Amino acid sequence: MNLKHVWIVFKKEVKDIARDRKTILTNILVPIVLMPLLFYLLGGGIERMGKDITENITIALSVSSDTEEIRNLLKNDIFAGNPNIKLLEAVEDPEEAVRSERVRFVIDVDKDYAKKLEDGLPFSITVTYDQSNTKSSGSYRIILDSINEYNQKIVKERLKNLNIDINILEPTKVIQKNVAKEKTGGNMMLMMMLPMLVSILMAVGGIPAATDLVAGEKERGTLEPLLTTQSGRVSILLGKYLTVTAFSIVCVISQFIGVAIGFKISPNFLIIGGTGTNNGFNIPPLALLLIVIITITLGMFFSGIQLAISTYARSFKEAQTYLSFLMIIAMVPAYATMMLQPGDVRLYMFFIPLLNVIASLKMVLGNIINYTYLGIAFGTSIIYVVISLIFAASLFNKEKVLFRN
Amino acid sequence: MLEVKNLSKAFGNVIAVNNISFFVGKGKVFGLVGENGAGKTTTIRLLATMLKPTSGTAVLGGHDLVREPEKVRGIVGILFGGESGLYDRLTAAENIAYFGELNNMDKHTLKERIKQLTKIFEMEEYINRKTGSLSKGMKQKVAFARSIVHNPEIMLFDEPTSGLDVTAIRNVHEFIENCKNEGKTIIFSSHSMVEIEKLCDKIGIIHKGKLVDVGTVSELLEKHNENTLENVFVKLVGDKNES
Repeated sequence: MNLKHVWIVFKKEVKDIARDRKTILTNILVPIVLMPLLFYLLGGGIERMGKDITENITIALSVSSDTEEIRNLLKNDIFAGNPNIKLLEAVEDPEEAVRSERVRFVIDVDKDYAKKLEDGLPFSITVTYDQSNTKSSGSYRIILDSINEYNQKIVKERLKNLNIDINILEPTKVIQKNVAKEKTGGNMMLMMMLPMLVSILMAVGGIPAATDLVAGEKERGTLEPLLTTQSGRVSILLGKYLTVTAFSIVCVISQFIGVAIGFKISPNFLIIGGTGTNNGFNIPPLALLLIVIITITLGMFFSGIQLAISTYARSFKEAQTYLSFLMIIAMVPAYATMMLQPGDVRLYMFFIPLLNVIASLKMVLGNIINYTYLGIAFGTSIIYVVISLIFAASLFNKEKVLFRN
Repeated sequence: MLEVKNLSKAFGNVIAVNNISFFVGKGKVFGLVGENGAGKTTTIRLLATMLKPTSGTAVLGGHDLVREPEKVRGIVGILFGGESGLYDRLTAAENIAYFGELNNMDKHTLKERIKQLTKIFEMEEYINRKTGSLSKGMKQKVAFARSIVHNPEIMLFDEPTSGLDVTAIRNVHEFIENCKNEGKTIIFSSHSMVEIEKLCDKIGIIHKGKLVDVGTVSELLEKHNENTLENVFVKLVGDKNES
């Protein structure tokens, strides 16, 4: 291996990719624009949906129960505490009114409710709503809560009239005690999304470059002349390998620039949940450094695999087909562990490629710093990088593979 | 000079090159002629160290093919047929420089060599343009320049005229003539009897991996008592239409 040749190949490949407008546009520039757009649309959409569900809840009475008395019951008693609930004119066909979204709910109350209430008997309130409509089904809980509150109020009044202590209704009292350390917690959405995004992007980010650098060169007839230069095959491969790794890192960075811009535009999108008492991050520099290195080594591991596959492929298209399977393989553990909490992380995960990065990120983002685990992840990552490089180099040196076509 | 000694290459059970031997002196052109799959490209790939021989060896410019492959690569230039094999997004100069750098040329020498080649191949107008935007003829010249940037002693041409138009074929012939005049040892593989006859000092007819005969055109015609090289070829390898 000649380091000068590695550097020459690396420089040339970087220059070549940097001039490939299509690759730069789709892999680097589009995420920077697309992510903020996604945040804006999704964040805005979620916000709007939330508003739609909680605000401007329209209710109508059925014609049969449209009396002044019942109107007062709803306005002044049951829904008195919620100014967002608006009582409209009565409707003749409750089902049609809800389906056509003229009103979100139609309520039918027993005509003789007052007598039943006085006699201590239950009276019925029929709520017509549309389960298939997000607004209607989303607001249903609010209507139900208001009715439950009204029920409790009546029960308490009745107990009071009977001189019975209202505490009889609460035989148990729940006292919350969280065993998570004070600093444990972090942002739930980030803990879910970040490890998944980072691992998938590092695993697949280098695919366009890897496909082009060996299979693409084979197809264009540029690889053969290259193999006749004084540069050894290992030097050529290493130059290409470093390019693929650098490309996947740049892709991840561009995705994160996009996420950061999106976060700035729609900050509420990622601030959902929070598992502990502290929503911030407190990552020591050494842990942060380890996390960055472990993440980069994941990119290096996959770069080796991608180059090996690209070497094996006869053509650009064949390489694309094989590498799309790699994408699926990378996605399985990433999605499978999406809901995993930092406390659920297990030791074995730090020995498995991809899972070790996800587990390390989850742990650190959850403010759990375990250097033994991070050290294991780092050590195993290095081993996997070496294995993938040896694998790629052995294929690149095999005549049968390199000249399959 | 170049000497091939009992060179063989097998891919599993298939023997692509079977114990071939020949010698090419300095400034001479050796033509390898054979059908598709006869073993021409495999022989060229073996001599360019892209493939490792199963047995036998060759000595190129005093360097043993098996024991000193890197040194062999330093004195060998290669030109393939079909597509030019250039990097479209690099300029003509960058394409040439890349191969010069990988052949261990220092910056100053490389710069001077590119200037010299630009002049020789009259590439002044487009030397700094990306090769993707060049015409076929321009690309061909860049490919020529790239193949000799490190001033190799030995040139290997693997069916360089395949798929080219008349003008492009003429350019290749001129290039080979120039290389010969510069004293380079040349191996040239082709299907075309006409160009083999025109350019080569010595011809090797290869069939199913075996070198079935070697000689000058007149030697081969006389030996086989034929009046054209084509007839000699058909006599040695058989006419497909007859079978």
